[in-house]
Amino acid sequence: MKKSIIVSALLMLMVVFSAVAQEGKDKFMVQVDGLGCPFCAYGLEKKFKEFKGIKNVKIDIETGDFSFSYPAEKALTLTDVEKQVEKAGYTPITAKVERANGTVEESSANELANKSEGTVSKNVMVAGNCAMCEARITKAAKSVKGVSAVSWDKDTKIMNVSFDAGLTSLEKIEKEVAVAGHDTKNHQAHSDDYGNLPACCKYERLSY
Amino acid sequence: MMRKSIFIIVVLILASACKEKVAVPKEWVLSKTIQLDEVNPIGLTQVNGSIWLSDGDHNRLVKIDKEGKITETIDSLDRPMHIDAIKETIFIPEYGKDAIETVDKKGRFIMKVSDSLDAPAGVSVYENERAIADFYNNRILYFDGANWISFGKEGKAQGEFYYPTDVQITKDKIWVADAYNNRVQAFDKKGTFLQMMGQDQRMNAATGIFVSEDEVFVTDFENNRVLVFDKTGVLLQVLKDQIEKPTDMMIKDDTLYVINYRNGKLNLFHKQPIFAKK
Repeated sequence: MKKSIIVSALLMLMVVFSAVAQEGKDKFMVQVDGLGCPFCAYGLEKKFKEFKGIKNVKIDIETGDFSFSYPAEKALTLTDVEKQVEKAGYTPITAKVERANGTVEESSANELANKSEGTVSKNVMVAGNCAMCEARITKAAKSVKGVSAVSWDKDTKIMNVSFDAGLTSLEKIEKEVAVAGHDTKNHQAHSDDYGNLPACCKYERLSY
Repeated sequence: MMRKSIFIIVVLILASACKEKVAVPKEWVLSKTIQLDEVNPIGLTQVNGSIWLSDGDHNRLVKIDKEGKITETIDSLDRPMHIDAIKETIFIPEYGKDAIETVDKKGRFIMKVSDSLDAPAGVSVYENERAIADFYNNRILYFDGANWISFGKEGKAQGEFYYPTDVQITKDKIWVADAYNNRVQAFDKKGTFLQMMGQDQRMNAATGIFVSEDEVFVTDFENNRVLVFDKTGVLLQVLKDQIEKPTDMMIKDDTLYVINYRNGKLNLFHKQPIFAKK
């Protein structure tokens, strides 16, 4: 009886130890702009192989969602990850890490979504094609100080944006979206900015 | 007199029959779609009449039967892409390993290449010739049986590439799927630019190419289409039925096989006289 209790205790300790070992991984989640096909997705994966110890790599080419786990003791930073995405030829839009110790870190882009007083909501047409366009458009709009929420529908081409009217205007937001390469109802993107878009995001230009 | 009349009638009938055959235009019509089981195919080829698919997402090649059932697997590959075969040897570009692996009855070997690769996306074999689409280096490596040459660089001008993903050698040309320039380019076997096609078709990622005796097939990945051109670049047909994120195609026994990457479907097309559809 005594022996079986000891064995059980040892087994439990092994399970706990194994669970702790499993938890010794940081989980990174990055949204990447510019992934359009398996060639791009595998290319990103290839560049991240330089991070020895990387595991559980998942890439969704439809949404640009890229996630992986990495040994916590290596203390990989979000900046390191974002730099590697850029090295692979793509643009990180948002990045988040769930550390093995339970803490969560996010890239600054996400911290802009703060509600403020005097918020108004407007709809405006923005040209684009796909989920990557959506990510780029919403990122550009969110980068304007005072913008609290953005959504864009690839079917209707309508961007809905909520912002503090005391801090910014729809015109300023449209201009920023145009700089990112997307024609809006009132602002046409410069041909260079349009030209820099990934091939899959080359939408049909709006006529003015 | 009688014999002469019969002879004339026979000649007329034969002439009429020949004329009829030439005159009937044909086009590719979807005849069957096979749902594959957990395969995300990127390339396909045939060995001894059997179809092999590269399953990039699952790092393997699979051989399938007529119903699409997997009958054989080659595992432990690193992102196999546009494959090709000659006799009983399969050539596999391993995108994640920067190598071309060959598989035959003798075993698995790494093909010797003149220079280092960066994400080989496609390979073609023709008699003793070899060609590789070297994706990140924006070039084609070509072996004429004696020597390797390299041609192309990053760019949008003729003869330049923006991420080539597939290549095919024919008797007198080397055809390239210039994926993110959204076009096809053809070169002679010295690497000299010869012709371009598809650049006016608003393609969005021309990721795969197959060249038959008379036609050039190109996958328009993002637009869910396969474009069919004649050898001079005139668009003959656009295939859309059941095509979704297509990556490659080939003709085997008068059947055109088109693979869908995303939903793992194999679509079979046959040529039919156009009037037969009405």
